Amino acid sequence: MNYEFDWFYVKKGFPQLIEGLWLTLELTLWANVIGLVLGFLVAIGMLSKIKAIVWPLTAYIEFFRCTPALIQLVWFFFCIPILFNVWWSAEFMGILALGLNLAAFNAEAYRAAIQAIPHAHTDASTALGLNVFQRIIHVILPQALILSLPVLITNGIGIFQQSALVALISVEDLMYQGRYISTQTFRPIETLTTVALIYFAVSFPVSQAVTLIERRTKRLLAN
Amino acid sequence: MDFDFSFLAEYSGVLWRGLLTTLQFVGIAVVLGLVWGFVLSLGRTSSNKGLYWLATLYVEFFRGTPVLVQLFWIFFCLPLFLGVELSGFISAVIALSLYSGAITSESFRAALKSIDASQFDACIALGLPQGVQTVFVILPQAMLRAIPNLLSNVVSLFKESALVSAVGMADLMYVGQNIANNVARPIEILTAIALIYFAIGFPLTRAVSLVEGRLLKVVKA
Repeated sequence: MNYEFDWFYVKKGFPQLIEGLWLTLELTLWANVIGLVLGFLVAIGMLSKIKAIVWPLTAYIEFFRCTPALIQLVWFFFCIPILFNVWWSAEFMGILALGLNLAAFNAEAYRAAIQAIPHAHTDASTALGLNVFQRIIHVILPQALILSLPVLITNGIGIFQQSALVALISVEDLMYQGRYISTQTFRPIETLTTVALIYFAVSFPVSQAVTLIERRTKRLLAN
Repeated sequence: MDFDFSFLAEYSGVLWRGLLTTLQFVGIAVVLGLVWGFVLSLGRTSSNKGLYWLATLYVEFFRGTPVLVQLFWIFFCLPLFLGVELSGFISAVIALSLYSGAITSESFRAALKSIDASQFDACIALGLPQGVQTVFVILPQAMLRAIPNLLSNVVSLFKESALVSAVGMADLMYVGQNIANNVARPIEILTAIALIYFAIGFPLTRAVSLVEGRLLKVVKA
């Protein structure tokens, strides 16, 4: 190996990379907002006894879980404008696709957590005279959140990584900027390695935090 | 808006070949990933500090960065390092296998950790030597418990494999996007592609839960 490293262009393009990182984080944040809220609503809907509610939700979850995120993204990007005659930005499409994808995975996490809540809590809610909404907000939601927190965060950081896909529909995120700089300067090794390290620097601490939280949750449950 | 799915029949041959390419990638990455993942999991459970850190760093890095970045890195940077031209196929296989190895090693490690301490005690009580303990007591149980996770890794790889289209490999995703561009009918073709992925991904996912349920019974019994 006789490759000579030259970090000049990475240094010069670093502000551009950081700009890309901000967009990546923005996408991740909004996708997570959609994923956390919609995911919970879907999980609640799945508890319903009405088939007309459960079936479409099941189809939604399974479809988003069993197809590549890339095809979902590309589908949204090309098909939504034609189908609904709307022209939204690529960023918005990215957030929508990633958010819906995340919501499907989060719904499963919430559902598993909700199932782990002892049935006695439902009985207690009835005995206390709570209506359905009060029960969902005050009894189910807090417990479901705590129980599923490690999985929710893991899914959330997964979306951070998946968000690199939006570069393929020319959203100028971290991945896109890295590719751009590396092709402009013919320095793929330096640039792409830096990009990989930036992604790693964000996701590694979060995944370590998950391990910590998981341990805490287990202890909390044991008591 | 009019939909016309009939023209898809014309392209069924190309789509079929794309699907085979996708499956080929997944198959190779799964097999190589199993071997590599097993080696890595040995490193991660090793008492040798150097090996442990090396394996851990590797696994964390591959799990902590987007697969797309890994793929591009292998595709654009590895040839520069090695000084040899790598075909798109080879780079894609390398990237997917390296990633597959990282997630597989985690499954093996989790399975190893799930084995009860009493099993080790029993081995000592029976006076089994280390080698026998590993091969006949620990390994079979670990393998059995790792199966559901390993299967769900196959599903992940199947989905991630769509990325290879980004480096110009003619997999299902690539073929689909190409046709969509050529005939200007993205809705029909992209929907069809999504359905094909689903037709494989869904049964696989179902199989994972089925196996998981069965196994829980076996392990408990």
